Amino acid sequence: MRQVPVPTVPSSTETVGPSRDSVLARSKESTRDVAALVQFRSACLRGRSRRRATYGLLVVAAITVLAAWLPALLPGALGSPRADQVLALLPGAYLGVLVISLVSAGAAGGGRELLAREHATPFPVSATTDHLGALVMAPLNLAWLLQAWLVLGATAYVVGPTPGLLLAQPLLLLWLCCGTALGQAVAWVAEWLRRGRRGAWSVKAIVLVVAAVAAFVVGTGSTLPLVERAPTAAVSEATVAGARGDWLGWLAMLVVLGGLTLAALVFGGWMCARAARLPARAEQRVESSPQSPRANPASDFAALVRTDRAGIWRSVPLRRGLGVLVVLPGLGALAGNLAWDMLTIMPGLVASGGALLFGVNAWCLDGRGALWRDSLPVGPRLVFAARVVVLLEVMALATSVTLVLGSIRAGAPTAAQLAAVLCTAVVMCLQVVATSLRWSVRRPYPVDLRSARATPAPPLVMVGYSTRLAFATTLVALLFTVTSSAGHWQWSLLVAAPFLARSARKLVRTSREWATPETRARVVSTVAS
Amino acid sequence: MSEPVVDVQGLRVRFGPVEAVLGIDLSVRAGTATALLGRNGAGKSTTMRVLAGVIPPTDGVVRVCGHDIRSETIAVKRATGYCPDVGGLVPRATPWEHLQLAARLRRLPEGWEVRARDLLERFDLGGAAHRVTGGFSHGMARRMSVVLAALHEPSVLLLDEPFDGVDPLGVEATMDVIADARSRGAAVLVSTHLRELAVEACHDAIVLRGGTAVAALPAVEMAGEAGAGAYRALLD
Repeated sequence: MRQVPVPTVPSSTETVGPSRDSVLARSKESTRDVAALVQFRSACLRGRSRRRATYGLLVVAAITVLAAWLPALLPGALGSPRADQVLALLPGAYLGVLVISLVSAGAAGGGRELLAREHATPFPVSATTDHLGALVMAPLNLAWLLQAWLVLGATAYVVGPTPGLLLAQPLLLLWLCCGTALGQAVAWVAEWLRRGRRGAWSVKAIVLVVAAVAAFVVGTGSTLPLVERAPTAAVSEATVAGARGDWLGWLAMLVVLGGLTLAALVFGGWMCARAARLPARAEQRVESSPQSPRANPASDFAALVRTDRAGIWRSVPLRRGLGVLVVLPGLGALAGNLAWDMLTIMPGLVASGGALLFGVNAWCLDGRGALWRDSLPVGPRLVFAARVVVLLEVMALATSVTLVLGSIRAGAPTAAQLAAVLCTAVVMCLQVVATSLRWSVRRPYPVDLRSARATPAPPLVMVGYSTRLAFATTLVALLFTVTSSAGHWQWSLLVAAPFLARSARKLVRTSREWATPETRARVVSTVAS
Repeated sequence: MSEPVVDVQGLRVRFGPVEAVLGIDLSVRAGTATALLGRNGAGKSTTMRVLAGVIPPTDGVVRVCGHDIRSETIAVKRATGYCPDVGGLVPRATPWEHLQLAARLRRLPEGWEVRARDLLERFDLGGAAHRVTGGFSHGMARRMSVVLAALHEPSVLLLDEPFDGVDPLGVEATMDVIADARSRGAAVLVSTHLRELAVEACHDAIVLRGGTAVAALPAVEMAGEAGAGAYRALLD
């Protein structure tokens, strides 16, 4: 009889696979696992979703190619004074890639999951695979994509329509990889720190120190000289110099960036493993600590609002996300010394950020309790109204803090400027809430937002949502920028009225949709599944 | 004989191209408990969701306590207490907050807290009353779902997989809740895969297969070895 080797589980004294293997072998294995996970996720897309995902990726690829090439053909590219001005801004723009990667990954608890934690449980997904998966997901973020397109376009404009562009852009692409990997690695360090004893306080202290340093830099007016001396200046110089024939510097930077990327990949994987071994203390504290009981709610509406609020404010990832959302744009406005007419950009940015945290899939806050909640004897429109109010108050709070921070250095506004900013805030909040709830009703997803790494909708859908929100809110903000320069504050009210009416109409329509038993059944069954 | 409290005739439920329920007839009278048995995908949970007013029927007549499920959904929801098959709890609310919400929306009179505390104690959840349910084990969540279904002493108690992953004390407490409901004249429907527990808790059993009812018989006929064989034969 032929002997067939039977695979067995290693004994406790035997050294098991990965620890025996080299870093390279482990990386190869993890890369294969990432490919398998990507395939799995892609296989889960069917019908219209699959077509939409394909078109979405094609559009992203097409825009990337155009951004890397088209600006080189613009008048003034290469050698004009404007091209020189853009050249001076390149180090800051390159640095932006690193900052956006770091903030995005940091706010997402280390980086987005390629496969949701709950779904990944049956599979032996290693920390390196998790880390590489998060890196694959990093570009599926509108802020990252916009910054990438910006640096590609700016570099193309500086280099011009020369063969050197074919050298410059690959080096820049390597920087995009390097910056993203570095940001991700630092984010894992932050997550590891956060999960340690008194970790949340340590991270808060670090953020405060960074904010204080940033405030000092901004206050002393040394932002520009500092950015010009940033290490990214060497990257932009090598990129442009390579395109102009300095092969040696280009090659040296290629080697440096390649080495840094590899080091960041390995270090990030190592830190990811260390962070994964620690318990998520903040989340566990919320789940295991008793909450103070409150008096019975005075009305049905108050009872509904209270439950909805708990879904947001007791979620550690959402609280953290809202914190980032409130503070970062405000500090940005403060650092950028934005004038009142430019502050109109802020409400749209903040409200969209809030929507992208959870608002675009608002019913998922009920999680598996959605079925039970829907079995309670209460009118569906009251439930909908409660959700509107809770979303609005979150958006209004975040927008207000941002505007207060932004207004500190903006000086005293004119009546027209004040009216424009206030009208923008009201219009944006209502518009974003109306849009978010429509998406929530039409395209619900079963998501567990207990993890900071989860997104309320699949990543590609999130890119679509953020693009649409950014487009709509920017257009409205531009309109109010115009009214802020008008002689009378009443202009802002006049412009705001049709937007408010449109949003109110959208809310009424969505409320009607939600009140349809078939629609509600689809939504609650989906989010509870 | 009294009118059935739950009266279902020709129930059909379709989700897009999928027919989840293909024409079920069932009736449950006051003071009785009926088990819904069947394999995964037989249509048990969908039927329960329809009776709870969560999913509208595609076709057929469904009356609960005399109320038509389509036109008087809120009245049906008032009359029923529903323990869903999955989760059933809002992850970041505490059990007490769930109870407060239910008490408010179900218009429970003052003093409901006494029964709520008693139920929490009976289901060994008194110590966890003010912790968010997101940290609950599966068994704790199931027990809490039964508490929520039973709080307002509904005329129709709908328990979907109430014993799933529940420890023996939790099973005992659930059995008591079913017995209490029956003794005060409520109609009880229990959907479960655990045949022996269904036999213990219910008078009657309805076996579903592929979205239709293939047998309706006294639960006792499902008991023991012989019952297991009979049940097995109905599943194929």
